[in-house]
Amino acid sequence: MRQVLEGSHAVSEAVRLARVEVMSAYPITPQTHIVEALSEFCADGSMNARFLCVESEHSAMAAVIGASSAGARTFTATSSQGLALMHELLHWASGARLPIVMAEVNRALAPGWNIWMDQTDSLAQRDTGWIQLYCEDGQDVLDTTLQAFRLAELTNLPVMVVLDAFFLSHTYEPVDVPDQASVDRFLPAGPPRACLNASEPFAIGQMAPPGVYMEMRHDIQQGMSAVPGCFDRVENDFETIFGRKYGPLETVECHDADIILVMAGTAVSTCRQVVSDLRHQGEKAGLVKLKMFRPFPIEQIRQAFGRAKKIAVVDRNVSFGIGGIFAQEIRAALCNTAEKPPVYSYITGLGGRDVTPEMLAEIYWTTKNSPSPSDESIWVGLNKELGRS
Amino acid sequence: MSLWNMPEPDYMYSGHTGCPGCGATIAMKFALRALGEDIMLVIPACCWAVVAGAHPQTALKVPVLHTAFETTGAAASGLRAALDMKGDTTTTVVAWAGDGGTFDIGFQALSGAAERNDDFIYVCYDNEAYMNTGVQRSSSTPFGTRTTTTPGIDWKKQRKKNIMEILAAHRIPYAASASIAYPEDMMRKFRKARSMKGGTRFLHVYASCPTGWRVPSELSVKVARLAVQSGIFPLYEIENGISYTLNEAGTRPVRDYLAVQGRFKHLTEADIVQIQQAVDEDRDLLIRRTRLMN
Amino acid sequence: MTFVDCDANATTSLFLSRSSISTEGNKTGSWRFVRPVYQNKTAPCSAACPAGADIGRIEMLVAQGQFRAAWESLLMENPFPAVCGRVCFHPCEEACNRSNFDESIGIHRVERWLGDHAIREKFLFPLKTRNTNGKRIAIAGAGPAGLSAAYFLARLGYDCDVFESSGEPGGILRWGIPAYRLPASVLNQEISRILELGVTLHCDTPVDDAFLAEAGDRYQAIFVGCGHSRSMPLNIPGTELAGDGLNFLYRVRNHEIDSVRGRIGVIGGGNTAIDVARTLIRLGAEVLLIYRRRRQDMPAFSHEVEMAVAEGIELLELAAPIHIESSGERFGVTLQRMKPGEQQLSGRCQVVPDGQKTKTIHVDQVFMAIGAEAEDIWAPPASSQENVLRLSHCTVVQGRSPIIFGGDLTNPVQSVTDAIASGKEAAMAIDLIITESVEDIPGTLESCRVGKGPALSMDAFLMGERRNRSSRLVNYTDLNTDYFQNLEAASPPALSPAQARKSFDEIDGTFSARQAMDEAGRCFNCGICNGCDNCRLFCPELAVTLEDDRTINLDYCKGCGVCVQECPRSAMALEEERS
Repeated sequence: MRQVLEGSHAVSEAVRLARVEVMSAYPITPQTHIVEALSEFCADGSMNARFLCVESEHSAMAAVIGASSAGARTFTATSSQGLALMHELLHWASGARLPIVMAEVNRALAPGWNIWMDQTDSLAQRDTGWIQLYCEDGQDVLDTTLQAFRLAELTNLPVMVVLDAFFLSHTYEPVDVPDQASVDRFLPAGPPRACLNASEPFAIGQMAPPGVYMEMRHDIQQGMSAVPGCFDRVENDFETIFGRKYGPLETVECHDADIILVMAGTAVSTCRQVVSDLRHQGEKAGLVKLKMFRPFPIEQIRQAFGRAKKIAVVDRNVSFGIGGIFAQEIRAALCNTAEKPPVYSYITGLGGRDVTPEMLAEIYWTTKNSPSPSDESIWVGLNKELGRS
Repeated sequence: MSLWNMPEPDYMYSGHTGCPGCGATIAMKFALRALGEDIMLVIPACCWAVVAGAHPQTALKVPVLHTAFETTGAAASGLRAALDMKGDTTTTVVAWAGDGGTFDIGFQALSGAAERNDDFIYVCYDNEAYMNTGVQRSSSTPFGTRTTTTPGIDWKKQRKKNIMEILAAHRIPYAASASIAYPEDMMRKFRKARSMKGGTRFLHVYASCPTGWRVPSELSVKVARLAVQSGIFPLYEIENGISYTLNEAGTRPVRDYLAVQGRFKHLTEADIVQIQQAVDEDRDLLIRRTRLMN
Repeated sequence: MTFVDCDANATTSLFLSRSSISTEGNKTGSWRFVRPVYQNKTAPCSAACPAGADIGRIEMLVAQGQFRAAWESLLMENPFPAVCGRVCFHPCEEACNRSNFDESIGIHRVERWLGDHAIREKFLFPLKTRNTNGKRIAIAGAGPAGLSAAYFLARLGYDCDVFESSGEPGGILRWGIPAYRLPASVLNQEISRILELGVTLHCDTPVDDAFLAEAGDRYQAIFVGCGHSRSMPLNIPGTELAGDGLNFLYRVRNHEIDSVRGRIGVIGGGNTAIDVARTLIRLGAEVLLIYRRRRQDMPAFSHEVEMAVAEGIELLELAAPIHIESSGERFGVTLQRMKPGEQQLSGRCQVVPDGQKTKTIHVDQVFMAIGAEAEDIWAPPASSQENVLRLSHCTVVQGRSPIIFGGDLTNPVQSVTDAIASGKEAAMAIDLIITESVEDIPGTLESCRVGKGPALSMDAFLMGERRNRSSRLVNYTDLNTDYFQNLEAASPPALSPAQARKSFDEIDGTFSARQAMDEAGRCFNCGICNGCDNCRLFCPELAVTLEDDRTINLDYCKGCGVCVQECPRSAMALEEERS
C-alpha cells in the first residue's frame, strides 16, 4: 500500500513487517523517530517483540548480541556518537557471526556537536565486518531493511542499513509498504543456524588461541566473499515478490560516459538530475550510485567504469590523512586493472552542508578541465572566510 | 558422615586452568550445584573467561555466552528477552562477572539492567582486584591493599565500594552477599535467587584469590571464613532494597584476617587500628539498618 | 575477491568458536609439587589409654548411631568396657584435645553407656576368633589381668585354664572395688562374655610353687596375675590390733559383714583406704580417715576423696599413727602431727614430724589400708637375668614353658586398665613365643604400638587397619576448629552424697542413647576420617572422588592443599610430590 512516510518510519515499518523479536536502543537524534515508532508498536501490540530501553548504545549492541546469540531476530538503530560508542561491539557482532540488522543514520561526529548529515560515522566502521548498504530514498530504505534481515541470516553477518540524517530520515515521500503476507513469504522465520540452546551445553566465544583464531577470521572473510552472490539471490526473490531490484550499485548513463560521477545516499537523487542536464548539454556524463559498500563490489565497480576516461568521486566524509573514503576504496579497486581511469576525489557536504546541483555540476566541470587528479581530495563549497581565524 | 546437606551433581569439569586454591572456581562449583543445569551463563572478560577453557574446550556443563567486558548486564538482559520470545521461560540467565566487570567497567550496564529490573541472576565473584590482568586495583579493592597499580606507599587509601548498597538503592527484589567458606548459606541464597523469577537478583560472592592476595593456596577457604568472622565481609540479604537480614558478621579482630595475607603485610599497627575502627562502624551501621525495617 | 554464489540451500561456512569438548583432557595434576594423602593418625586419647582403645573412632561410631561397630572396636582392645567405663581413671580425658576448646569428651561415660547398652541389648560377640590350635595356657589369678590374658589368648586360638584362689572370679574388680562403683551384675556379665569364648575357670583353686613346677608338662605357657593380695603392714606397736582393710572389703563383698557401728578409724590414703571408708559409712559407721600427708598428696583418685568427704568421712591430714593400744572395748590410736618438709622431685611432698605434737584418738575399730603387695612367691625375677625379658607391662621368663608375670606384679601404674594392657601384652608375647620366637617380641610389639606407646593394639597385632595408621599424634594445633561449636559436656545424673551413703547402689547415673550420641558427637575424632566430606566439597578441581572410600584423582589434583587445611581433624597430610 502506498503511504507517505518519513524516512525513519520506512525503517520502522520494515522492522515491524520483518517480525523482529528483540530490539534494544538508546536515543540519539536523528534516529529517535525510528525507535519511538518501534516502542509504540510494542505497546499497542502491532509487534510481538521485546524492546529493551538500555542506558547506552554500547549496551544496546550488547543486548542485541545477547538476544541474537539465543536465536532471536534482532534490530537496533543509532547514529554518529552512538555508533562510535558501539565500535568495540561491532567487531564482536561480526566475529560472533550474528545476523543483527542495524539502521544507521549518517550523522556528523563531535566535537562541535552537529546532528546533520555526514557519512564519516558509518565509514569509520568499515573494518568491523558489517555488511554496509547505503540508501537513496524512502523506498530504498524500506526495501533494503527488509532485505537486510534475509541477507544477514543467510550469511551470518550483521548488516548496517545506512540513511542520511534529516535529508532522508526526516523527509516524507510516497513509499510502497508491502503487506505482511508478502513479507512473510520473503522472510520466513526459519530456525537460526547456530544459537545457544538450553539442551546443548556448549560455550560461545571461548578463548581462541593462535592456533585457531586466524581460521576463524578467514572464515569471516569467506562469509563476506559470499555476500554479493547472496545479495543477488535475495534481490531476485525480492524482485519476484515486490517488483523492485537495486543491485550493489546502479549505473546511470555509464555505457558511453567519459566522466562518471560516483556517490552514495540522497546526493544520488540530486545527481540524476545533474547528469540528465549535462547529457542534454551534450556532455558524456554518467553516474554510479554506490549502494553496497561492504563488501566492496570490486567487480561491479570495474565493469561500471568500463571505458570511462575519468571518475569523479563525491565523498560526504573524510578520513583525515588520506581524504575521501569512497575515493580511496575505488582507487584500490582499480589499481590492478589494465584500464585504470584516473580517480578525482571531492569532499563536500559535511555536517549537513547541502549538496546542490550547482556543486555537482561544478565537480563535473572541474574534473573535465583538470588534466589529472591531485593526490589530495578537493574540498568543494568551503567558506574561505571561516577558515581563517 | 557428611557435615553437609548439599545437592550432588557437579556441572563443572576438572582440568580447568584456575590457579591452585582459586576461590572463584570453588564459588562456581557451589553456584552450579545450587542452580542446576537449566541455566545459561553470561561471562565477560574476567578470570573465568579464561578458566572456562580455550576453544574447543569448555570447563562447564551448561551453555555459556562470552561477552565484552562492560556488557554483562546488557547482554544478560538481551539473552533473557530472546529466550522469552522463543518460548523458553524456565531457563535462568545467570551473569557471572568479576569485581572489575561489576564495580567499574561493567557498572553502567549492571545499573541499567537493575533499574529495568531485568529478569536474571547477576553474580559478582569478588577477588578484590583485576586479577586476570595481573592484580591491578579496582573499586572493589579494600582500603589498605597493595596491588600492582597501588604499590609501595601508594597502597589503596580509598575504601571498597559498597556494591550491595548501590544495588539496594535500585530496589531490586533481592541482593545477598555470600562466601565460599559458608557453602550452605551460599547455596541457600543461590536457590532463593533462582526461585525469585521476574526481576534482577544480585549475589556478591567473596572469592579468595591466593595468587593475588599472596596467601598460601591451602588457606583459600580459611581466609574467606576469617573475612566473615571478622566482619570485613558480612553475610547479609537485602530484599526490595530496604529490608535487611543479617546472617553473619563476626567480631573477631581484623588483624587475624590481615595477618595471613601478603597484600596487607605492609600495614602498621596504626593502619590496623584504623581498619578495625572502620569495620566496627560499618558493622554497627549494618546492624542498625537491619533493625530499621524489622 | 572471488564471489561465491550463494545458493539458498547451501550456506556459507560458519566456523564459530562453539566449544563443547570438556577440559578433562588437561591433566592439571602435572602442576603439582605437593600431593595430599589420606592419612589417619593417632588420637592422643588412644595413646594415653593403657589398653590403646581406638577412642576417636569409637566416639565417631557412637555419634553415628553405629553402636555395634563401636562396641566391636572397643572389644577389640578391651574386654571390660562396662567395667572400665566405671572404674578407669580415664587418662584419655586428660589428653583429650577438646579440653583446649571447651571441655574434654566424657569418654568414660560414653564407654560405660556403650558397655551397658551391649549387655542390655544382648549383643552377640562380634569379633572373629582364630580356630583353636589345641595349645593350652595356664593363668593364675582371675583378676583383670588374668581374665584379660585369657580373653586375648582365647581369641588367638588358645585353650585357657584360669585358676582363682577365691570362690568367684574378678579379683580386685569384685573384692576391692565396692558395688557402688561397680555393681556385681555388670562385672558378672562381662566375665561371662570372656568365659563364653571357651575359657575354663577353676575357682577355689589357689596356685602354688608345686603347680608352677609341673604346669609346664600340660601348658605351653603360664601367665601369673595374682596381684597384690597382701596388705602391707604398718610397723608400729599395736599393729596387730588393726584390721586388714582389703580383707574387710572381701568379707563385706562376701556378705559376711552387713553392719558396722561406732566410730571407725581408717589408716591410709589410697583408693583402698577410701573404699574401706566409704563402705564403712554405708554400713552405718562414723569414719575417721587418717593420712600422714596432705589431702592433695593422697594417691587415691581425687574424685573419690571428694565423694568420701561429701559422704561424711572426717579426714585427718598430716597425722601419722605411732602406736595403737586397746582401751577397754575401744582402741586408742596415738598420732604424730606431721608437717610438710621439702618438695621431692617427683612432686610428692615429704613430711616430717612437727616437733613433739601428738594426740590420741579413740575409736571402736581400726582398719589399715596403707597399700598392698604381692605374696613372696609371685615376685617376678630381676630383668638382669639372662632368660628374662622385661616388657612394658609384663616380665617374660623363658623356659620350657615360659612364665609371664603381669598385672600389678609388673605394671608401672597399678590400675585396672593397665592390668588389661598387661593381659594383652602377655597374650601377644605368648603367641609370638609359640608361633615364632622370643626374639620377635620387641620388634612386633613395636609395630603394634599406639602412638609412642606403651599401649598396644590387638587390631594392629592381627594386621588390621591400625597396623598402617600413622603413629604421629594429633595436637590441638593440628586441628581446624572452625567446624566446631562450643558445646557443654553432658553430665548424667548421680546420687547426691546424702543419698549415696545410704546404700551400695551405684552412684553414677548414665546417659540416654541420645545423650551418648551427642556427647560422642563432640569428639573431634582426631586423626580419623569421619567422612565429613570437607575435602571433596571444597576441592576446586573436583579431584576428590567418593566410592567406598575417598580418593584423590591425581590426574587433576594441583596440590593446592585446601583439603588438608579444611580437614577438621588432621586426617590428611601433604607430602612432597615424588618426581
